[in-house]
Amino acid sequence: MAHADTGSLGVLPRRFQHATRLIVDWIPLAIVVVLWEFASGTAVPADVLPSPVTVSVQIADLLATGEIFSHLFVSLFRFGVGLGLSIAVGVVLGIGMARSAPIENFFDVFLSMLYPIPKVALVPLAMLWLGVGTGPAVLVVFLACLLPIIMNSYNAAGDVDQNLVWSAKMMGTEGWELLRKVVIPATIPHILTGIRQAIPIAFIALVSAELVASYEGIGYLILEAGQVGNYSLMFANIVVISAVAYAFVTGFEIARDRVVVWT
Amino acid sequence: MDVTYARDDVVTFTKSIYSLIIFLVLWEAVAQMGLVYYYYLPPLSDVLARFVELTLSGEIPYHSYLTLRRALVGLVIGTVFGILVGILIARNAVAEWFFDPIIKIGYPIPIIALVPVFMLWFGIGDQSKIIMVAIGTFWPIAVNARNSAQRIDKNYIRSARMMGTSDRRLLWRVVFPAASPGIVTGLQIALPLSLIITFVFEMVAGGGGLGALEIEGVRTFDPTQVYATIIAIMLIGIALDRALRLLRNHYLRWV
Repeated sequence: MAHADTGSLGVLPRRFQHATRLIVDWIPLAIVVVLWEFASGTAVPADVLPSPVTVSVQIADLLATGEIFSHLFVSLFRFGVGLGLSIAVGVVLGIGMARSAPIENFFDVFLSMLYPIPKVALVPLAMLWLGVGTGPAVLVVFLACLLPIIMNSYNAAGDVDQNLVWSAKMMGTEGWELLRKVVIPATIPHILTGIRQAIPIAFIALVSAELVASYEGIGYLILEAGQVGNYSLMFANIVVISAVAYAFVTGFEIARDRVVVWT
Repeated sequence: MDVTYARDDVVTFTKSIYSLIIFLVLWEAVAQMGLVYYYYLPPLSDVLARFVELTLSGEIPYHSYLTLRRALVGLVIGTVFGILVGILIARNAVAEWFFDPIIKIGYPIPIIALVPVFMLWFGIGDQSKIIMVAIGTFWPIAVNARNSAQRIDKNYIRSARMMGTSDRRLLWRVVFPAASPGIVTGLQIALPLSLIITFVFEMVAGGGGLGALEIEGVRTFDPTQVYATIIAIMLIGIALDRALRLLRNHYLRWV
């Protein structure tokens, strides 16, 4: 059903087909942007819905003056530290729980209590402990990303092909070496799936923490721009954080496909 | 035999919660001995007492009702539109051409960043929160309903057609059931998302609800209120998760 119009494109020289396909595929977005441009200032006040041109100019301005970079770095630092910690802790816990019953018995109950709580509901608790700023943001990102990473590492480490484990054992591989040479390589693709699931969650947690408990970062900038009535700045920052989130997900998928070649 | 089974169950159960009991006892002891500031970690007994107090006074039930109404009404609206658009995309080439790029761009936006936009457009009341939940939950439902409906075995549709099934019946009897696993997958993403949007909106804009109750605890230096609200949130989370599992088992028995 996809690209039902292929037939009509067949008459074009091959090198134009790709470009034409691209244009045809993205016409709907162009329609939306054009409608938005016309609606802004006519159907709705330009204040309430700044036109795409205004927002683009604002973004260019933010990038040119470098104003946005300090806040963007703060946000990315929180994102990176929170996600990094959750990977470090989550992989160790996930594999540990899958390979050892006492470890599983100890942590399982805490995870089942953490699971039903939407992690952003812990922002106020993080504020009690760590005040306002980077601390609560990192903590909430960490907690939000922890479960998908634990789940994926746990399931994968529990499902390692027993034939691989037996072969390795038969050839004298035991204990730590078995873990390092057999279990972890077999688990890595699933850990990467967990990280892939965690990235969008991390951005939601990050922005939530910055809206509620921060005086820095893109989330704070969005809220502040809205409060002082600078709506084109508010939309510009939303576009920037969305583009960054999109770039991370896409970049991660490309990197993963290059690195994990053994599945 | 029964006795041994029962004892095994007790052993398994104890093994699975002993760490929690240690944790709770340590919490109470450390807090009672004043090893941590009351503001960081009030004793468990104070938290539980506060939870009971807020429940009996009707505050927690009232704020839970506000939160749940916003989250669930929004979720229902988002789900209905998500299913409609998702199935439409899967069945109609023009709809696919139109909506696919919009979904590609719309789905990855961290929806929570739009809280200030909805405050600007629709104010800080219930209406604004519900619209935002509806729009936020629309994407995962639409994407998963589409993916599921696109994978329908063409032979089912051909067989149904051959037996003279009308368009409407085909939609209800073949396409919709085929899309339902995707719809449930979508709901598993959308349900927590509806709560996330509601909580953050309540924390930022107020207007009651558990998010507002919780952040009020921080602002009035009342840690027991924060902890008590988190207990309520956890209970609601457990209940909704169970409900979704029941729904899945009930409707997807045939999968």
